[in-house]
Amino acid sequence: MSRPAPFLWRDRRVALVVAGLALAFLAGTFSFEAVPLALMEGLGASEFPRLVGAVILLLAVMLALRPAPAEEEELPAVNGCGWATFAACLGFLAAMAVVGMLPAMFLFMVGVGWLWGERRVGVLLLSAGGVVLCLWLLFVRVFGLGLPGGMLGEMLFN
Amino acid sequence: MEAFLGGMMVLADPFILGMTVAGTLLGVFVGALPGIGGSTTLALLLPLTIGISPVASLAFMGAVYCGANFGGSITAILVNTPGDPSASATALEGYKMAEKGEAGLALGISAVASAIGGIFSVIVMIVAAPLLARAAYNFGPPEYFALALFGLSMCAAVGGDSPLKNLIAAAFGVALATVGIDLTTGVERFTFGFYDLTDGIGFVPVLIGLFALAEMFDQASRQHTLGKLLKLDTVRIPGMAEFRKCARSIWLGSGLGTFIGALPALGATTAALVAYNETRRWSKHKHEFGQGSIEGVAGPEAANNSAVGGAMVPTLALGIPGSSTTAIMLAALVVQGVRPGPHLFNEQPTLLYAVFASMLAANLIYLVLGLYSAKLFARISMVPPALLWPTVFVLSVIGAYGPNQSMGEVYLMLFFGVVGLLFRRHGFSPAPLVMGLVLGSLLEESLKQSLLIFQDGWVLGFLGRPIALLLIGITVAGLAAPWIMRLQARLRGATEKRAA
Repeated sequence: MSRPAPFLWRDRRVALVVAGLALAFLAGTFSFEAVPLALMEGLGASEFPRLVGAVILLLAVMLALRPAPAEEEELPAVNGCGWATFAACLGFLAAMAVVGMLPAMFLFMVGVGWLWGERRVGVLLLSAGGVVLCLWLLFVRVFGLGLPGGMLGEMLFN
Repeated sequence: MEAFLGGMMVLADPFILGMTVAGTLLGVFVGALPGIGGSTTLALLLPLTIGISPVASLAFMGAVYCGANFGGSITAILVNTPGDPSASATALEGYKMAEKGEAGLALGISAVASAIGGIFSVIVMIVAAPLLARAAYNFGPPEYFALALFGLSMCAAVGGDSPLKNLIAAAFGVALATVGIDLTTGVERFTFGFYDLTDGIGFVPVLIGLFALAEMFDQASRQHTLGKLLKLDTVRIPGMAEFRKCARSIWLGSGLGTFIGALPALGATTAALVAYNETRRWSKHKHEFGQGSIEGVAGPEAANNSAVGGAMVPTLALGIPGSSTTAIMLAALVVQGVRPGPHLFNEQPTLLYAVFASMLAANLIYLVLGLYSAKLFARISMVPPALLWPTVFVLSVIGAYGPNQSMGEVYLMLFFGVVGLLFRRHGFSPAPLVMGLVLGSLLEESLKQSLLIFQDGWVLGFLGRPIALLLIGITVAGLAAPWIMRLQARLRGATEKRAA
């Protein structure tokens, strides 16, 4: 769907965000520790980042000055499944802190698989179990990687 | 010659040969999965390659890169879903051929053209990379600074919806490369007190987030309809008549692909699209295009595979990535403590020739796979997204966590997943950000060293370095060209209006 482009059309709003980030980046360079002149070796620690920040700011201004199109395509809204998947990723982090990485992965795969429309519970359990088992064999048994055990792992094994 | 033979002998090592075969198989497999291309796979595999030798790691990644480019064409032809973006031009004619009942012939010519293009570009790479490295052997910091700048300016043409946005993304990549302790002064920059950031932002979580996770978030918002797999009885090797008809498009595609691939930042997708247009322009059978032209399959297929070898030339010889996928390979080398560039040809020639050998082998392996297992690989695209993408997520998590066993890297990966999604929604390509991140430290260090060398100020300093000056001139001309052309068109319009 499209509509007449407003003054602050999409790319201009993007340019404002980019300019804001560039200004924050530039401001950050003033918080660096001062360096004695003898150590500067051509450029100090802050000059190059300042140059990069200034270039980003300039590019943001150029983006903002681009002529607006007559009509602006509306961005497709992120649907419920998109938001739910993102929430599941955050939920995965929370679950990992409690039950550990591998069980959290299993729960994530079953949950998100269901969310994306897979209704065959057996297939979900089998694929999640198979993947987690392969990861455990490869990373824990073969590579000897220590994966986070979560609070549950701490309680059970320590 | 000794190093070349030594490199070729690497394939006699069962482990390296096994890694090459496994890499090709995996590459074709993931290339056939829509959304998971070579870049995503290499980003996910990056942590795994740290544990093996640089030779085995490069052989594996080179094979994955070659295989993924070919794998994408199988689903492009049979399901009209390019597994890899570089196969999008193949879908235009390949699927039409499949609808006409010529799927076997389309896959046959695709396999043959891909192998010819791939082998042609590897031969060019074997000849050109050492020559380029020799030429670059005398490069000093000013030349490297100019080269890195040129590489970043080429990001303007890499994808997304505007060159300006690509340049912004590349500049953000350079900004990210400044995070961490400045090596010359020891000053902490943008670490905000987080210990994990003192060594800088790791490539692995950024790459996995931008490519794999952003794709998952993007896929989550789409309606998933599985493509219809068209009937395929047997893959047919093209006969002499068909081969003669396609010969010109194959050579055109191979030449264009190798050249475009060798330009920093431009990769297989651009090569394939340009080759499709040029094949149509020079074809004697223009009327067949849009109806299922065999030349329209051969040209882009030769181009997207030859771009692989082309992209490796600046990556290995200069340390400037030729595409986003080679940027990931470059990152893998850096993580392993190997700094690509002209010195590598003197210091570790066997490593380089092992890459060449593995890529040659990969091209031959996927020729066989393409001819005998295409039907099987086409079924891969039928894997339900509900099972595929959660698996990609868990692989991403373990990939980000693995190398440093740090949860900070997992959070960083999630952050860059969101950044990647925002990039896609607003017309930014993630590839320039990766290029900026990879080239950022080279840009800063070479600028610092250049300023130390120049006694009479930087303007006179650069004026005294003809190669650096030429590269800066090309960069400025390339960036200014669109504006100059627009101005010219406006002036021409005004003159015509006045004349009327």
